Amino acid sequence: MKKANRILTVLMFIFLYIPMVVLIVASFNTSQDITKFEGFTLRQYAELFRDEDLLRLLGNSVLIALLSTAISVAFGTAAAVGIHRLKPKMRKVVMNLTNIPMTNPDIVTGVSLSLLFVFVGTRLLGQRESLTFWTLLIAHVTFGLPYVILNVMPKLQQMDGSLTDAAMDLGCTPVKAFFKVILHEILPGIVSGGIMTFTMSLDDFVISYFVTGSGFVTLPVEIYTYTKKPIQNKVYAMFTLLFLLIFVLMVAMNLLQLRANRKRETMRSVSKGGAIFRRCAAGFAAACVLAGCCFLAFGNKQDKIILNVKNWGMNMADGSDGTLDIVKAFEEKYPNIKVNMSYYESNETLYSQLKNGGISVDVIIPSDYMIDRMRQEGMLEKLNFDNIPNFQYVDEQFKNPDYDPNNEYSVPYTWGTVGILYNTKYVDPADVTGWELLWNEDYAGKILMIDNSRDAFGIAQYLLGYSVNTEDREELQACADKLAEQKPLVQQYVMDQIYSIMENEEAWIAPYYAGDCMLMMEENEDLAFFLPQEQGFNLFTDAMCIPTCCKEKDAAEKFINFLTDPEISGANMDYICYASPISAARDYMEDYLAESEIVYPSEEILANGTAYKYLTKETTRYVEGLYQSATKTADAEGPNWIPYAIGGAVLLGLAVTLPVIRRRKKTQ
Amino acid sequence: MKKNKSVLLSAPYILWMLAFTLIPLGVVGYYALTDPETHVFSLGNLKELGMYLPVLGQSAMYSLVSALICLLLGYPVAYYIAHRGPVAQKILYMLVMLPMCMSFLLRTLAWVGLLQDTGIINNILEAIGIGRLQLIRTPGAVILGMVYNYLPYMILPLYATLVKLDHRLIEAAEDLGCTPAKTFVKVILPLSVPGIFSGITMVFVPAVSTFYISQKLGGTDTVLIGDLIERLFKQGDNPNLGAALSLVLMLLVFICTGIMNGFGADEEGGVIV
Repeated sequence: MKKANRILTVLMFIFLYIPMVVLIVASFNTSQDITKFEGFTLRQYAELFRDEDLLRLLGNSVLIALLSTAISVAFGTAAAVGIHRLKPKMRKVVMNLTNIPMTNPDIVTGVSLSLLFVFVGTRLLGQRESLTFWTLLIAHVTFGLPYVILNVMPKLQQMDGSLTDAAMDLGCTPVKAFFKVILHEILPGIVSGGIMTFTMSLDDFVISYFVTGSGFVTLPVEIYTYTKKPIQNKVYAMFTLLFLLIFVLMVAMNLLQLRANRKRETMRSVSKGGAIFRRCAAGFAAACVLAGCCFLAFGNKQDKIILNVKNWGMNMADGSDGTLDIVKAFEEKYPNIKVNMSYYESNETLYSQLKNGGISVDVIIPSDYMIDRMRQEGMLEKLNFDNIPNFQYVDEQFKNPDYDPNNEYSVPYTWGTVGILYNTKYVDPADVTGWELLWNEDYAGKILMIDNSRDAFGIAQYLLGYSVNTEDREELQACADKLAEQKPLVQQYVMDQIYSIMENEEAWIAPYYAGDCMLMMEENEDLAFFLPQEQGFNLFTDAMCIPTCCKEKDAAEKFINFLTDPEISGANMDYICYASPISAARDYMEDYLAESEIVYPSEEILANGTAYKYLTKETTRYVEGLYQSATKTADAEGPNWIPYAIGGAVLLGLAVTLPVIRRRKKTQ
Repeated sequence: MKKNKSVLLSAPYILWMLAFTLIPLGVVGYYALTDPETHVFSLGNLKELGMYLPVLGQSAMYSLVSALICLLLGYPVAYYIAHRGPVAQKILYMLVMLPMCMSFLLRTLAWVGLLQDTGIINNILEAIGIGRLQLIRTPGAVILGMVYNYLPYMILPLYATLVKLDHRLIEAAEDLGCTPAKTFVKVILPLSVPGIFSGITMVFVPAVSTFYISQKLGGTDTVLIGDLIERLFKQGDNPNLGAALSLVLMLLVFICTGIMNGFGADEEGGVIV
């Protein structure tokens, strides 16, 4: 029995630590791929310390954790003393209130706070940006407070009440009595509550994810978007360093505690290792004060204009692989502007982020049909073309497009096609005939599907021979049925996650945007691109716009103008592999791209492409609903009855055994 | 006089908690009961919920199964740790805590690297001649991810209960002729019931509402309620339906924890560092 326990414990620890070992090994790996160890390198660590953005994110996380802990500890301790003095009935009510954020799932807490902030900030107060640093801090304090209270309350209850009375009899004021007597007794509770708040705040993802705006982002939230894009190994390096740091801290804390315990045993003193706790607490308080000062000193002293840009993932040259770092070049040209780049996955994601409100963004790059929608719904700001002289270089055919007839709201950024990316190693060329490849049962489980309603419906519409701009409910229903039929064959519904999955050959077939496909083909030469010309395909334009929630319109127009410069545009296309709406840019592009049939298809191929148009609001909502139910709901029947059966058996078991145990407990 | 004054210290806290826990839930209720377009009262969102009931059921089952697996794995481990010497206890306790402090996103991502078709485990299986297996994108993978992430939440409260257990009771049972198995069933198990229930609650609540684990480790069929809520808020442009689903999720969790608390501990939280 004991032996079995020991073996199980060892196995459990192996289980808990295997993924961490994988990540630590990955941080020393020369290969980008986590599954293949190709060689040992420390390059990731060097890159990590050069990466200002990553370090800034880490700084943000630490700052929020320190501040929220300091506030929760001070506020929570005072509150606990007050609650302790409440009448028992009232105390019970308050403790139940305290338990709400503890029991509530994080996602509900996050959603409720974000709705509150947006509701009050945007709808009632009419602010442009209601999700800021301060709301994030409020959220962290809100989930930190209960930890402090729940750790301090038991200590207060254990405390001998006559101690306070004695102190006051000896002439202490209540405040003095608190600092001299009570604080001393409850310090261990405060310290453990503070530590819990700190670690919870530092590692919180779910609540922050819902409450974060565009200005102040913490590390876990950014890691979430990283894990959707091809992840960089320097993140693993950061993980390894954090792991070491926390490990050392924990060991140190335990050693201190052990020493304190031993001292207590030998000296039989009443003080519960108070000195050490006091020292820890003082150190921590100092750190909090320091963080607060730093924040006040540097946080608000940003004399630079912050330009918030929201872009597709992998959609702007960032200086890797010898390309031009566009943002850096822009910041060098305009030293008083700092670009803060964040990402969205699809037009629909961008739309709902802006529509739900709470964030302030200065430049966005949506696609044609979405621009039309935002324009009609009054979500876009008219551009001042005097500030965008480079607009003259844009080709005539891209001026005054259908989605922006008078060309008041947008400046085109790229254009391209949607086709099929497939792996020639596994896919029979005879099968590559058209969109039906995505429904081919021979490749079940190896097919990826694009994860947004418009592109997914578009593909079904091309396959079924409907117009992509149809509003006919029957046709749309048929498309939804077609997508539901495809679901069992689909490995995953993806957007930017597609990169690693296709490059690692985890999946073989996927519909995606031509430029991104080119990027993946550069990484894995077995990949090929196919454009179903006969059935038709989507021809899209992405254009830069300024949403009404913008704060820095001038800087935003400067940025748009900068990106419309033919030389910059050409250099940008070298990285993102799309076609530029500026003919002159083609001269600055690398030849293999400028001459590529995938990037610049011939006129006769392009004749088969169609653009999406904005449909009515009702149809858009109807399509979104159909898409969700066709692809995102669990089947009630099928293999899923197994968990139901297990769960039912478990419930039955509980129902039978629990009353027995309970009765036994009572009789004891 | 002093008593009255220090009672006032709780007032700002009560106001804070009202403003940032109760009122937000009211706002969720408001969104759930209004139409996304017109902002007028409507039951449309609640009517649509029926469609998502299978997802809710699936989430509840997955997390319940995970909680029970955690219990089966965690109990012996907690028992083992609780019966070590003080130094060993501290070290083992710390080793259980440590993973909880590290980014669960990255740790889950490491499981993707381990389990995927071209992943580490399958590469090993291929090398020793077993051949590749479908590990990822199965219900099992999602449950594995939940068990992995939330196992420490089971071990810690169990350990806290077991370490407080009075040894004299066990000795007494043995003196009175109980076999070890009987001692366990008659003495140890009933006394650790509070720990068991607080552990199950602490695993169940985060598991039932997770959205990252199922996105990364699950297939197209393993959609959980957390995924739906996240999609409705972040992509689907329907926060009102998302709010309605959040309310349902909250209700489910409160009913479950209510049952657990009824059977289990009367003490609060059960979280001890």
